[in-house]
Amino acid sequence: MLEVKDLYVKLADEDRTILNGLTLKVKAGEVHAIMGPNGSGKSTLSYVLAGREGYEVTGGEARFKGEDLLDMAPDQRAAKGLFLAFQYPIEIPGVATMQFLKVALNSQRKARGEKELTTPEFMRIVKERAARLGISQDMLKRAVNVGFSGGEKKRAEILQMAVLEPSLCILDETDSGLDIDALRVVADGVNALRSPERAMVVITHYQRLLDYIVPDFVHVLSQGRIVKSGGKELALELEAKGYAEFTREAA
Amino acid sequence: MNVAVNKTPAELAYDGMLLPHPRLEDWKWTNLRTLIDRPYPPRIAVTALPRDVERLLKRDPLAMIAHARIVFVNGLFDKAASALPAGGAVKVTQQLAPLDNTDEPVLEMNRAFAGEGVHIEITSNIDAPVEIVHVATDAEARTIATRHRITIADGASATVLEIHLGEGDYLTNSVIDVALGAGAKLDRVKLEIESRDAIHLAHARITLGRDAVLRDFTLTSGARVNRQNATVNFAGEKADAKIAGSYLLSGKQHADTRLVIDHQVPKCTSREIFKCVMDEKARGIFQGKVIVQRDAQKTDGKQSSHGLLLSETAEFDAKPELEIYADDVVCGHGATSGDIDHNHLFYLRSRGIPEPEAKSMLIAAFVGEAFDTISHDDVREQLTRFAETWLVDHKETVR
Ligand SMILES: Nc1ncnc2c1ncn2[C@@H]1O[C@H](COP(=O)(O)OP(=O)(O)OP(=O)(O)O)[C@@H](O)[C@H]1O
Ligand SMILES: [Mg+2]
Repeated sequence: MLEVKDLYVKLADEDRTILNGLTLKVKAGEVHAIMGPNGSGKSTLSYVLAGREGYEVTGGEARFKGEDLLDMAPDQRAAKGLFLAFQYPIEIPGVATMQFLKVALNSQRKARGEKELTTPEFMRIVKERAARLGISQDMLKRAVNVGFSGGEKKRAEILQMAVLEPSLCILDETDSGLDIDALRVVADGVNALRSPERAMVVITHYQRLLDYIVPDFVHVLSQGRIVKSGGKELALELEAKGYAEFTREAA
Repeated sequence: MNVAVNKTPAELAYDGMLLPHPRLEDWKWTNLRTLIDRPYPPRIAVTALPRDVERLLKRDPLAMIAHARIVFVNGLFDKAASALPAGGAVKVTQQLAPLDNTDEPVLEMNRAFAGEGVHIEITSNIDAPVEIVHVATDAEARTIATRHRITIADGASATVLEIHLGEGDYLTNSVIDVALGAGAKLDRVKLEIESRDAIHLAHARITLGRDAVLRDFTLTSGARVNRQNATVNFAGEKADAKIAGSYLLSGKQHADTRLVIDHQVPKCTSREIFKCVMDEKARGIFQGKVIVQRDAQKTDGKQSSHGLLLSETAEFDAKPELEIYADDVVCGHGATSGDIDHNHLFYLRSRGIPEPEAKSMLIAAFVGEAFDTISHDDVREQLTRFAETWLVDHKETVR
């Protein structure tokens, strides 16, 4: 599904390397968790994979479903099935949530050569998935993320994911800022999407999330590189010991 | 005003009439002496083929909404193409509105050249919009001037749509006088989608009686050069006017709006909101002046203008002015200019929305606040659609 090989990324307008030879392989059906200290490059990795401007790839490659990911426009990546749940979802005043979701879904379908959905078909899907995630009709009537609380924004990201049904979901700290109940609702939403055809990369600081979304692999990202990989027990170990070992090693 | 010595080609065509010199404060952004770069002789009779008129009328995005339609072709009233109201609360008379001497160049030009116009009188509450459509057909370069009058009787209300469209090279000079009686309400929507070769000059003079409510919206998108003046005079207390506008400009288009809001009496409210989008080398200008006379206590007047620049070569200039002679008033203004927020754009694209559509969504979102001035739902929706498809449409035209 996703193959990142020896990826080096620097900031486009600054002489500063953020990713330092990062390698990560994710197969369909797998759930990978990425943990690591603040500033280690987790969000940068997710942005680079999603196609955000401002970064320059200076070495290595990233392939998605066998194709060169870094060559594609952000919307092409999305249509091909990549989805990033943002650590800080963006508020867009004046753009209605429902219209945004509908245009997004139909743009993707169009790009894939599928039939676009009619408004009633689309509404049915959104209503059903919003209900499952405890998202009110009132929230759907507002502009994209505008006036949403931190937790509501995270929930809205998962709703978008549930509607767009991507094949590779990258969740960047979707658990931060969620209360215990919301965490469970969001985790259920994510688990509902787990399937043999779908892969997930879950970036988190807390082992707690991984009790709900049980990963197949856990990676430690430090100073722009994966420095250790293991099973779900690695997360428990990190929770107990912290990252001192890795930051020292890398330094 | 007559500062020039050498006459421009346009001036020679105008029987020696002079165009405004850029040294005049109001005209410093729009130098008609260079922008009108070829003669547009007035009083040229052009015969239009009915099928051309019919084809051009189809470009009017509000055609299906209007119930009564008054059509002007090349400056002349076209009865056959019009659908006049069957009497009742709307009275349409073919008549050129009176116009005294002024020192306003656009008005002076109109006084010299306007041949025809209508007087629309609204005597009670009308739900269905009344439309005046101006069509210019492709013919030799010329000046087309019209002058209309709209009168809304005390307590009456209406929606009046004003459309300007055409093809070929011509200069429109459009003057309209609007008077709202006591407690009258007018929703005025103007759409300037002239030919890309055209020049559009306009002047609207609006007077509000006591408790009158005006909602005025202008979408400017067609002509290569556009200059629109409007004056709003508060003549009766507690009147309320909202003047909004939006530019959607590309290529080398130039649009300049000069608004003067004159609060002469107490307790009136005025709002101006302009949301202007410029792509490529387009230039947008907004000059808004709010005058609060000594007697106009408790005036509430606010003005804002915002430019959205889609390219590094686009430009937006705003000149807000407040002239306040009363002491118990709330007035303010704000102007901003910026480009598309890249975080917004990336977020939309990361959900699969291609760049042109994503930008279009952000453009529609940006202008939305101005479009909200339009009370009539169908009119607002049609014009919003125009804004949503504008970027993709004009890029295709260029290719
Ligand atoms: N656009 C940018 N401009 C300047 N610095 C940047 C930019 N993007 C990333 N960085 C820097 O790169 C480093 C990695 O940032 P990144 O956001 O990827 O970290 P992270 O692992 O997601 O951290 P956190 O756990 O706090 O979310 C940080 O030092 C950050 O300041
Ligand atoms: Mg981060």
